[in-house]
Amino acid sequence: MIQLSINGKVHSYDDVDPSMPLLWFLRDIANLTGAKYGCGMALCGACTVHLDGQAVRSCVMPVAAAVGKKVTTVEGVVDDDVGHAVQAAWQKLDVVQCGYCQPGQIMSATALLHTNKNPSDAAIDAAMAGNVCRCGTYMRIRAAIHEAANTLSARGRS
Amino acid sequence: MKIRRFVLTASAALIAAAAAFTTYALLTVGDGRETNAPQPAAAGAPASITDSLVRGEYLARAADCIACHTVSGQKPFSGGVAFTMPFGTIYSSNITADKETGIGAWSDDDFVRALHAGVGKNGEPLYPAFPYTSYTALSREDILAIKAYLFSVPVVHAPAKANELSFPFNQRWGLSYWNALFLSKQRFQSAQAKSAAWNRGAYLATALGHCNECHTPRNILYALKHGRELAGEILQGWKAYNITSDKIYGIGSWTDQQLSDYLGNGHATGRGTASGPMGEVVENSLQYLTQEDIAALVTYLRDVKPQQGEPGNELNDRPPRALASTADTPGAGEMAQADLGLQLFEGACAGCHLWNGQGRQNEAAALLGTQAVSDSEAYNLTQVILQGSQLQTAHGEGFMPSFGRAYSDAEVAALGNFVLAHFGGKQGKLTAEDIAKRRAP
Repeated sequence: MIQLSINGKVHSYDDVDPSMPLLWFLRDIANLTGAKYGCGMALCGACTVHLDGQAVRSCVMPVAAAVGKKVTTVEGVVDDDVGHAVQAAWQKLDVVQCGYCQPGQIMSATALLHTNKNPSDAAIDAAMAGNVCRCGTYMRIRAAIHEAANTLSARGRS
Repeated sequence: MKIRRFVLTASAALIAAAAAFTTYALLTVGDGRETNAPQPAAAGAPASITDSLVRGEYLARAADCIACHTVSGQKPFSGGVAFTMPFGTIYSSNITADKETGIGAWSDDDFVRALHAGVGKNGEPLYPAFPYTSYTALSREDILAIKAYLFSVPVVHAPAKANELSFPFNQRWGLSYWNALFLSKQRFQSAQAKSAAWNRGAYLATALGHCNECHTPRNILYALKHGRELAGEILQGWKAYNITSDKIYGIGSWTDQQLSDYLGNGHATGRGTASGPMGEVVENSLQYLTQEDIAALVTYLRDVKPQQGEPGNELNDRPPRALASTADTPGAGEMAQADLGLQLFEGACAGCHLWNGQGRQNEAAALLGTQAVSDSEAYNLTQVILQGSQLQTAHGEGFMPSFGRAYSDAEVAALGNFVLAHFGGKQGKLTAEDIAKRRAP
């Protein structure tokens, strides 16, 4: 039996191959379809989720490696202050075009703002480089991360 | 006068040829047929394995026959692997039991002679790309167990590919002289002063595993340099690292756990992941050895005489640039430079390896403390970037895509130099010309 903590809720399932990618488990078993399948080789970032707060590529992570850790997906990141600010900024600036890569972008942006409260453009580019967007929304992603950082710092001051 | 000179020259040539042939005949006599020769005390397979075919399989894996005798994607042991040497290309032979193209017609004595003396069924000297200089130490019993196993695998009809060697290397008889100089037909002798584990490790590392054939430097005549055992060598574009007990250049500062993890699983925390030819050794051979045998190898390697490496290749486990980075971003000073290598790393590498070199979710992607980023000439780093890396063991699959077709020579050089500087604290000197030479032909 595999037992996983996802977005604060415990999910247990029998008959799960421990080497199955976490992404399969999330989408097909836990019915959390926010994280997307892109390349299946950890190259595009569409499947990004958090494992104990760190951005990971769930398409190549065996489900067994997530046991005993906190998995957070784009459906649950809204409960996190930073994640909430990122999602709000994404909506405010209308970042999304086709949207396929955006759950991964949001998860990587949230992880970045947890370690770097006020990232420069260069830092954003360095941190977000593993998340590819075929619509080319990069400029809006960058702006939305600055926006979320401003919201969070304003909130910190008040 | 002209005729006289011609006759003289011709006679001299004839005499030289006759002398050469006589020496050759003398050198060849006495190869093999050594049923009564003293046998080594060590046995290559653990005593717990009693079934003779299973023993043979264990030994064939420990000797890693499959790696050189199987082209990726082809039937096991059917040969045809190309070995590119400075003097031409040779192809490995079919060692399945096919009577016509394999070793199906070989007697036990033929097979033992090939491994002990480097001589083929028809008496022809074999090229020392076949590591008979190591296998010569094997016991007859172990060799015949390997033969029985090879005769039990599916037979493949696969004619040998013709070697492409230039003169004089295409003259096999010359190898008899080489053997006279460099082949000591000595069976393994236990060292009484050493422990049983050490002796077992020595037999596994030298006679079976033939570590020396890649890790020991070779002289101008392609023979292993005595006194420089396991000091490291470059072959086929990869560096077989210094694996002596030297603390700075070798594996002297590795823990026992790191050594056994690396040998048995292809990965050691803080030391990196086996790639290229060593990855194949782990996949095909070492991962099948018992825990006790891996421990015996560690015992032996710990005791190998330390050998200095080239200054400039010391491991730097506190590289300032990586330490100034977080997982997500490099240090501010580095980011300010618009370095091509940094841009490439950002675009294709940081997603998995992370800027601090810890590896995202996957230890196999960790770069800090590895020999690959400490080698100032970046041999293996370059090959991994060009060819990618994959490792399939009982612990799962590690995979890195290849970037050889995506990046130009100049780009690979810039990326390699960035990785050396950032993760190894080294001043890389790779140029586009270096990369062009290192691309697989």
